[in-house]
Amino acid sequence: MNKVQSYNIITLFCILIFGFAIATLISPDTEYSETENRTLSQMPEASLSSLTDGSFESDYEDYLTDQFVLRDEWIALKTNVERLAGRTSSNDIFFADDDYLIEAHTDTFTTDQAETNIQLLTQFVEKYEGTFGTGHMTVMIVPNAIDILRDKLPAFASPYDEGEYLEQIETVLEESLEAHVWFDARSVLQEHSEEEIYYRTDHHWTTLGAFYVYQAWAEAQGYTVPTADSYVVETVTEEFEGTIQSKLGIHTVTDSIELYLDPADPYYTVEKDGSGEISYSLYDYSALETKSKYDIFFGGNNALTQITTRAGTGRKILVVKDSYAHCFVPFLLSEFDEIDVLDIRYYNQEISGLIEEEGYTDLLFLYNASGFAEDTSLTKLLY
Amino acid sequence: MVFSSLLFLFRFLPAILLCYYIVPRRFRNLVLFLFSLLFYAWGEPVYIVLMAVSIGISYAGGILVDRMKRAGRQKAARNALIVSLAASLSLLAFFKYADFAIGTVNGLTGADFSLLGLALPIGISFYTFQTMSYTIDVYRGEAGVQKNVISFGTYVVMFPQLIAGPIVQYKTVDAQLRGRKETPEEFALGVHRFLIGLGKKVLLANNAGELWDTISAMTVSEVPALTAWLGLLAYTLQIYFDFSAYSDMAIGLGHMFGFQFKENFNYPYLSKSITEFWRRWHISLSTWFREYVYIPLGGNRVKTGRHILNLLIVWFLTGFWHGASWNFVAWGLYYGVLLVIEKYVTGKYVEKLPGVLRHIYCMLLVMLGWNLFMFGDLSQSLEYFRALFGGFGSGLFDSQTIYLLLNNAVLLILLFFGSTELPKKLGEAFCARFADRNVCMVAARGILYAVIFLLSVAWLVDASYNPFLYFRF
Repeated sequence: MNKVQSYNIITLFCILIFGFAIATLISPDTEYSETENRTLSQMPEASLSSLTDGSFESDYEDYLTDQFVLRDEWIALKTNVERLAGRTSSNDIFFADDDYLIEAHTDTFTTDQAETNIQLLTQFVEKYEGTFGTGHMTVMIVPNAIDILRDKLPAFASPYDEGEYLEQIETVLEESLEAHVWFDARSVLQEHSEEEIYYRTDHHWTTLGAFYVYQAWAEAQGYTVPTADSYVVETVTEEFEGTIQSKLGIHTVTDSIELYLDPADPYYTVEKDGSGEISYSLYDYSALETKSKYDIFFGGNNALTQITTRAGTGRKILVVKDSYAHCFVPFLLSEFDEIDVLDIRYYNQEISGLIEEEGYTDLLFLYNASGFAEDTSLTKLLY
Repeated sequence: MVFSSLLFLFRFLPAILLCYYIVPRRFRNLVLFLFSLLFYAWGEPVYIVLMAVSIGISYAGGILVDRMKRAGRQKAARNALIVSLAASLSLLAFFKYADFAIGTVNGLTGADFSLLGLALPIGISFYTFQTMSYTIDVYRGEAGVQKNVISFGTYVVMFPQLIAGPIVQYKTVDAQLRGRKETPEEFALGVHRFLIGLGKKVLLANNAGELWDTISAMTVSEVPALTAWLGLLAYTLQIYFDFSAYSDMAIGLGHMFGFQFKENFNYPYLSKSITEFWRRWHISLSTWFREYVYIPLGGNRVKTGRHILNLLIVWFLTGFWHGASWNFVAWGLYYGVLLVIEKYVTGKYVEKLPGVLRHIYCMLLVMLGWNLFMFGDLSQSLEYFRALFGGFGSGLFDSQTIYLLLNNAVLLILLFFGSTELPKKLGEAFCARFADRNVCMVAARGILYAVIFLLSVAWLVDASYNPFLYFRF
């Protein structure tokens, strides 16, 4: 290289490092990433203690990564290059058939947390076995797409078998309890694995998936068994791009979200967190204007949602759940006079107090398998 | 701080380049010194004190040794050297090996001394060896004494080679510390080396590491033999690309500031014997042990028995330098024994074999060596060894093996290709075809650099996985 060429190379290098350095400095920080659906790290405050214990330094690096200019585009670039290089998975997500993006949950089920959570659940159910009694308690852990849509995975892919974990929960519950509480959602979903029961771009199951499981559960419980014709199916959006797509930073396909509405349009009231504010719908249509369109159900996560209906069955249910329950709960409207939906992750009071006070007749524990295995707040079940 | 981070690329490097080239020449060592301290202190500020003590010991040791020598007091100079070396080594011993010693004593005697639980100061093994080389060279008269504490400090803490080598001997940079001339040609060469290193680390080593992590996370008794070999291969490639990428970046950064460090790797996986492998792998470490341990012990100019002992001592120490645990000792002695066997028994037969067979022989032994190296303890190595040879009866391969191979096919091809001289030769052939001044060639270079850089940034923005293996040493 001669002098001129050297200067060319140096100029290029300096443009790259100074260019992005300055761009990142001057581009305004964002609080929240719509695509990633999470709060981004902010500039940490420097203090003597945070500097010496190293927390400032690591926070600053998180901040820089989160606020790096064109963040989404960089992530998309990586995903695209990986696909070009013939990879059929990236960031633990499979590029499956029919445009499905499926999370592998590789390390989810073999952790100590996953084991502990089985114990916590068992203790919880044991604790209230006497209160509810046989036939009035249901534990439903819904498998993720990786388990049900196995056939769609790339050739030779052999992810962890969620079925093993679910069987383990079932066995522990059966051994520890008199009452039969386990409901096998997995078999129900497996029968319909060719249908649209999971979103292609999101980690949730669809309303159709929830419907099939509700149908089977209603039959097992002796409730009125609905058919597909029992509802008016309303497609509220066809533009849903879910969380898995966000993790990859790319745009593949979009999903539709469907609501299963009772044609009789029954009257019910909804109160969130004992606020005294009453609303009359489980659906928050304004969520459709945002990125996280799945929040149309319940308007997203909140600690305690209390629904009062005019079903007149004399039954009152407590649903302990994660977000998989959001599209499931509307099916309960016709069977219960009162439905209290509790998200233990956000609930900071004693659950025992709630159960004592409200006098529920039934209990439903509804989580998705990976969410259940990873949850760090299940100790609260025993409070 | 590591080179392959957004923080380094877009905060530290622009800042130091700006300051370094703005200030007058006489302040440039100071800029390097201060920024290097910041680089070292980032995330672990406490150990900066240890670093200062270490610098102080060798700085004073050098001056003392020099003064005694000038006064003709050879014996006193020798004593000063010994005191200085002992002080440096005791710092290393305390911070790196104390817990290992306590654990061993507990294990042997059944005593129950509690462990100190000290975090290993980053780069201590590297900079201790650098400062020791300085005082020894001053004593031997191979390097001049450095009376300017900033210049000496700059040599020790200089951020390019501070935390993972290459181990720079003082005598090789003495003149450069006193007066060097940064040129555009050299800076551009630095850019070239740095970007190649960055790409090797972020795009190749990290991905090889992910493959190895996937496989090492499996239950070893259930891993089919071919998957185990794929894992070992991934680790073998990861450690080479990781470590040599670090050296590439260090050498490149050195060039940007006008320093010429010696090469640390020379395509080690092309070796056809273990002897050759160690001439090509971590050259600065082997050089250090040769000059400061092996030759002083008498090297090979002694009787056979003594020579074998010398080799085993050096390789015991080489292994132990890598970490305070028996598996590193075993790994070092493994090479000691192999080298003795090659020297005295098999060497002449191996030489007669066709090149391909010699290459397979060498790589097989190197990979089995990594099997000793890659786990924290020996029992895990033995378990993995069993898996490699089907000792658990988990079959030859399963669908997971095929999936991992298919999913990483492009990566593995790039890694194989990248461990040979082919990319370099192709590059040179390309350059030779076009005249040096050819626009097309300059453009090609520019595009190559930009692509490596942009892809690396994309991986860094997305990555949570970005370890440097040699940080632990």
